[in-house]
Amino acid sequence: MSEMWINMGPQHPMTHGLWNLRVKIDGEMILDVDPEMGYLHRGIEKISEDRHYNEVITLMDRCCYVAGFAWEHLYILSAEEALHLRPPERAEYLRVLCDEFQRIGSHLMWYAAFVQDLGLMSPFLYGMRDRDLVLDLFQSYTGARMTYEYMRVGGVRNDLPPGFSDQARKVLDWLDARFPEYDQLCLGSTIFRERCDNLGLLKASDCVAHGVTGPMLRSAGMKRDLRKDRPYAAYDRLDFEVAVADGADVTARYLVRMEEMRQSVRILRQVLDWLDHHPGPVLADRLPRWLGAPYAPIGNEGYLLKRNYPKGVGFSAVEEPHGEAQAYVVNDGGEHPYRVKFRSPVFANISAARQYLVGYHVADIPPIMGSVDVCVGEVDR
Amino acid sequence: MQPDDLSRALGPKLGDGLLSVEAFPGTAGRVRFRAERALDLFRAVRDDLHFGHLSMVGGIDWVDHREVFYVAWSDEARQYVFLSADVPATAPRIESASAVWPSANWHERETWEMVGITFENHPDLRHLLMPDGYVFNPLLRSFKLHEPEELEVKARHV
Repeated sequence: MSEMWINMGPQHPMTHGLWNLRVKIDGEMILDVDPEMGYLHRGIEKISEDRHYNEVITLMDRCCYVAGFAWEHLYILSAEEALHLRPPERAEYLRVLCDEFQRIGSHLMWYAAFVQDLGLMSPFLYGMRDRDLVLDLFQSYTGARMTYEYMRVGGVRNDLPPGFSDQARKVLDWLDARFPEYDQLCLGSTIFRERCDNLGLLKASDCVAHGVTGPMLRSAGMKRDLRKDRPYAAYDRLDFEVAVADGADVTARYLVRMEEMRQSVRILRQVLDWLDHHPGPVLADRLPRWLGAPYAPIGNEGYLLKRNYPKGVGFSAVEEPHGEAQAYVVNDGGEHPYRVKFRSPVFANISAARQYLVGYHVADIPPIMGSVDVCVGEVDR
Repeated sequence: MQPDDLSRALGPKLGDGLLSVEAFPGTAGRVRFRAERALDLFRAVRDDLHFGHLSMVGGIDWVDHREVFYVAWSDEARQYVFLSADVPATAPRIESASAVWPSANWHERETWEMVGITFENHPDLRHLLMPDGYVFNPLLRSFKLHEPEELEVKARHV
């Protein structure tokens, strides 16, 4: 047989976003792969250098369109460090609330898209149905379903509306009862097992060498989660377990994500209890005037006074639904960040594609790449 | 791990290649090193200090010089370490870290195209996010997104 390169993408059902996987094949065997990224590059890091600190939040929602809150949180943490600010405790819990609901929403989106790649249509519908409940909750307190602009440097924009925690508990109870159904639909399906078991193997040592993090790393038996290892916001005050599996294959990644959703439900119950009993401010007082307004004017240069703000740098890392995201913000005392750098977990996970694709068949690419949970928005930024 | 531990472990190995170790928020410390000794430092950080996971590589354009920074994670210490080296703006080059940490590959490709820093002995230094043949380095300060005055003049003439 002769070898040849084929393009899977930029428009291909497997890609879930705009990118191109170049695959070198010999018959059905994969000999080499070369992911081509950049179709969705919007220059978010560059645009951030031209914006005020609170205006960058708008871009963060668009960084990863299924996990906007996680990226807002990431940026906010390092911006606060660079600007020497501390949020009130209630804001920290509200951020965890956002993060964990977002994790459920993101994993459900992944679940729906992934099983559809395998040809299972009903789980797709169930996944999207349940994700909508989470989006409804987001809409009730941020006004948006995907691009929230909710977190602020120094806190969050507004508190929860009355009756939110009852509604949220109902959603959690509903989700809790759905997880066994998901498992039954997938793990009980012969098609699912035959297309996922022992595919896309990536050992823990290879994960570490190639920078792979998140559910992919934990599916290889490595218990690493920044929420535990390097707690941020209120995670050190919450009780939960790190989801791990030891198969290192596609099925193991499924198991890890399912367990993470269960743990998120567990975290959210504690967070809702805390929020019910601890009213308080959600935005730090004594913020500089240009950060203090809950609805900061956008693009209004005249409002922002030149100031002598202390210089600083901020580095933060959060456990995003896809893995470990990092942000580095340099504040040189000006009105805009001097440099903003983001580390996207999916960027690193895709860069290791050669490690988990070579040696399998062409038909294995959709389940394997599906198990990576690609979000091109945050890879290209 | 504290900045002192880092300098005690790295000092004897690198000698004058190690410029300073200072406290850095949220990490074990920030190690500033001479760009010529990059590979020695990477090996020491990975093998002696067990920072086996390179998370991020990036660059900053400080106009008169450029800075390359690396963030690595240790599973034993459960900490990050921040490494940085200055390279001259006229000849911005440094040894690639991908021989030590394979994960540096894509991060260095991105830094090369965005900040214009050449990584020597990189296995595959080509464009990643930008199209092939793109000649600019968008994250340099000299790359302006727009000239407000110019836009204004144009708008008036329309």
